[in-house]
Amino acid sequence: MSDLGTALVFWPGAAIMLLTGVYVFRTSSMARAGLLLLAALGVEGLVFLALAAEFLGVLQLLMMSGEMVIMVFFMVMFMPDPGGLMGMDMTHDKRRSAVAAAAVAVALAAVAVATDWPAAVVTGETPDLRQIGFEVMGRSMFSFLFAAVTILFAMVGAILLAKQGGRLGLPAPGSDRPADDGDDGERPA
Amino acid sequence: MSAASPFAIVALALGGAALLALLEQLIAERRLAPAALAASAARTLRQPLSTPEVKDAWLYHGAPGLLLLGAILALAMVPWAPGFRGLDVGAGAILYSGALAYVTPAVFMAGWGAGRPLQVVGGFRFIALMLAFQMPLVMAVTAVGAPAESLRPSAIVDAQHAVPLALSQPLALLLFAPAAMAVAFVAPFDLPQAEGELGGGAFASYTGLDAAIVALAQKVLLLGAAGMTTTLFLGGWHGPLLPPALWTAAKTLAVAALMLLAGRLLPRTRIDRLLPFAWKVAIPLALLAIVWSGLVTLLFYR
Repeated sequence: MSDLGTALVFWPGAAIMLLTGVYVFRTSSMARAGLLLLAALGVEGLVFLALAAEFLGVLQLLMMSGEMVIMVFFMVMFMPDPGGLMGMDMTHDKRRSAVAAAAVAVALAAVAVATDWPAAVVTGETPDLRQIGFEVMGRSMFSFLFAAVTILFAMVGAILLAKQGGRLGLPAPGSDRPADDGDDGERPA
Repeated sequence: MSAASPFAIVALALGGAALLALLEQLIAERRLAPAALAASAARTLRQPLSTPEVKDAWLYHGAPGLLLLGAILALAMVPWAPGFRGLDVGAGAILYSGALAYVTPAVFMAGWGAGRPLQVVGGFRFIALMLAFQMPLVMAVTAVGAPAESLRPSAIVDAQHAVPLALSQPLALLLFAPAAMAVAFVAPFDLPQAEGELGGGAFASYTGLDAAIVALAQKVLLLGAAGMTTTLFLGGWHGPLLPPALWTAAKTLAVAALMLLAGRLLPRTRIDRLLPFAWKVAIPLALLAIVWSGLVTLLFYR
């Protein structure tokens, strides 16, 4: 893709990503927030494609759709007001989180500006698939295996939390509390 | 030789969808009446749009567009002839499933946006289905990529100049074709709409242009599924005597006819049987297909 073509995808793409990213937190509906996040990350995939990172872009488009749809599913399942009918606020602890967000943004911008990026734009046929294959099966194998097992544990944990009754199991018949929650069964008066 | 223009792909999608509508009519009603089809399409287009009285109506009207976009992007990965290779990207076989991944949020948006119980159930049901079916789909694609040493669809076609991969990897074909049909939600996998069970499901309340776009997108999805099956397993444009493009078209139409026929002959699958089958049987089988593909590649393709 030409430099102009890349710029024509990159800058509007970046603007859309920022805008959708902001609206993720402006909306109160779980379905809308998840789909807006999907829009932001899908556009990021398109930006990768425009920057000639073909496999990364394709993978981003494929994985993000699946992941964000799962996220919508879980958010609608777990949140008390998934449709946003009561106008729930998605932001908490406003002042401190605003300060933290601004600090992180400034730090990241400083890194982006200060880094000595390679000047040459990657063009045409880079054998990126083959390179990724050798990287994953060689030097980085341990980190990928470690990440994979960690994610597997997280998945098992999430399923345990999501199943009926949660991690404490179903309540005993007639009880209004979860099963064995670790205390001796004494009720506060 | 190089990438086809987006306009050519859109034209292909429109023409192919019309052809598939005729094929469906031939299989369902055993007659060819293009006039009746055109009249029915015109009737749909003349209807006014329906808008649900919920907050998320924009999701409702955005869904058909996203569905069609994903379907056309998936179709664009199919190489039809050496001179017309679709978008011809290096990871095209994966991008095919990447494009199909956007069918899921589209169906969910349709169901959620309609804001009625059966529609929402149809949307959620499709999420569960697609999580179960994208995996064997992508794994079958991976298996096919090994002998070609590439995920570029045209390179996979080239690797089949002597033997179509359907012969060396029948298991991957048996997993890919039904999974691609399930993503196109055609019968017997029409679970998100499920006439008679969900009463039209996710798409039940669409009228006018919205309904027409959904119907068009579904035809394009089926065309892409048949075209990709041809590309990955049936040797694509390879064949004696006839020109390459004709071979691709003939094989694609034959596969599409078989898929439509399967929808006529088989009863609709039940979601409570389909989901355990996909997770417990199809995904382990897909792993086996990858191992088999590695063996075949090492023994015969190197």
